[in-house]
Amino acid sequence: MSVALENLPYLLRGAGMTVLLSVAAAVPATLAGLCMALARRRTPWLGSLLDGWLFLMRGIPLIVLLVFVYFLLPRTGLDLPPFWGVTLVLAAYYAAFMSEVFRAGFDALPNAQWEAGRSLGLSEPLLLFHVIGPQALRVALPAHLNLCASLIKGTSLASVIGLWELTLASLEVVERTLAPFPIFLSAAGIYFTICFALDRLARRLEVANG
Amino acid sequence: MAEPMLRLDSIEKRFGEVDILRGVSLDVQRGEAVVLIGPSGSGKTTLLRCINMLEDYHAGSVSLDGAPVGYRLEGRERIRMRDSELAAVRADIGIVFQSYNLFPHMTVLANIMLAPMKVRKLSRDEAEARARDLLLLMGLADKADLHPAQLSGGQQQRVAIARALAMRPKIMLFDEVTSALDPERVAEVLTAMRQLASEGMTMVVVTHEMAFARDVADRVVFMEGGLIVEQGPPQQLFGNPAAERTRQFLGRFMNAEGRTCG
Ligand SMILES: Nc1ncnc2c1ncn2[C@@H]1O[C@H](COP(=O)(O)OP(=O)(O)OP(=O)(O)O)[C@@H](O)[C@H]1O
Ligand SMILES: [Mg+2]
Repeated sequence: MSVALENLPYLLRGAGMTVLLSVAAAVPATLAGLCMALARRRTPWLGSLLDGWLFLMRGIPLIVLLVFVYFLLPRTGLDLPPFWGVTLVLAAYYAAFMSEVFRAGFDALPNAQWEAGRSLGLSEPLLLFHVIGPQALRVALPAHLNLCASLIKGTSLASVIGLWELTLASLEVVERTLAPFPIFLSAAGIYFTICFALDRLARRLEVANG
Repeated sequence: MAEPMLRLDSIEKRFGEVDILRGVSLDVQRGEAVVLIGPSGSGKTTLLRCINMLEDYHAGSVSLDGAPVGYRLEGRERIRMRDSELAAVRADIGIVFQSYNLFPHMTVLANIMLAPMKVRKLSRDEAEARARDLLLLMGLADKADLHPAQLSGGQQQRVAIARALAMRPKIMLFDEVTSALDPERVAEVLTAMRQLASEGMTMVVVTHEMAFARDVADRVVFMEGGLIVEQGPPQQLFGNPAAERTRQFLGRFMNAEGRTCG
């Protein structure tokens, strides 16, 4: 166990990178998911396009996508640092699923809520911000949190293409110390704590918003 | 005669192949209370929804206080207003639905204050003062901080009326606002509407409450099959209807008169 303690600072620095990567991917994925869920309400052809994309993402393992981009990107002459490459893949991957989750949230609201808001003279943006959005987001929140947890765990795949974060840090320590059990147990504990903290935080925000 | 507050000119509306409104024309004068009656499926709800463009209609025109609603004519072309223009006209048209449709995530007070603040640009204090006045008027002064789910149907419906009134609309439309309520709750909502009419609010009321129509209406309009069959002052329409269809429709209500306690 002292092995774990000795190496904890190193693992925690890796965890910091994991959190950074997660935030960098989850924020744009959420925003893009939200925008797409809204945009497809107005633009039918966009809906089919998004369906196709979701269909693809659903059928391709994240790791294959990561490796693919890792090898493909340099060939396009685009010199993207690995951090941003991974962020891009994670964001694009999860945006597809998040747009579905938000769409379900919007669809859960009766049309009468839109009509009541319109009848009061609220413009569409006001209606979305004050009436539809808060209700739809509340419906979507649990599923969205699941996706966020899945994204956080998904960042561990970045280790495969050599991006240093918690999993790669753990692998390095294990290689050095030959003590896989305490180290991976620590890593598992740290991942769990991150996901758990996110869940608590989100639920607290939900309560605070009435 | 003065320019009417609301003018409907030959409104036509289809759902698919079915004609629902087949050329409805109606003028509502300032301060007038018009009650719209007719059998189920005659198009009453659809007509109200066309007035504030919750439904698009295929022909005809609506104008409020002299200004077009929903479509404007450019040459011979009928152009649907942009969303922002529609929002501006809708702000002047209050509508209350059978199913209240309050915003469940907001308190009663917030429900009423939202549109006055965001659309009419009232300050928070002004909007709150207006909202509290209306709640007082509706007998709900102590409910301001509750959420809609904590209220009875009759209370929710009065909040919905207050929410619409808070915009100071030029006209109020009511669509069977008491038919989802328990009988003992009906009276409290009708009382609020009666007071509104006596204060000179221009209103169009769809209802099956014939006693209310008789007491409050300046004019009763009978619709059937997407057309106005007959209209007139309540004494005339109830006492001596001209059309056979009106007579038949009212006949059914006369038998049930004991129940329509208004
Ligand atoms: N969205 C819709 N799609 C298709 N048909 C519709 C739609 N809304 C209404 N209708 C049809 O239009 C006709 C008129 O309906 P409307 O609701 O206006 O009648 P109403 O006079 O309000 O009846 P009620 O007294 O039952 O409320 C009905 O035959 C109805 O089936
Ligand atoms: Mg109806």
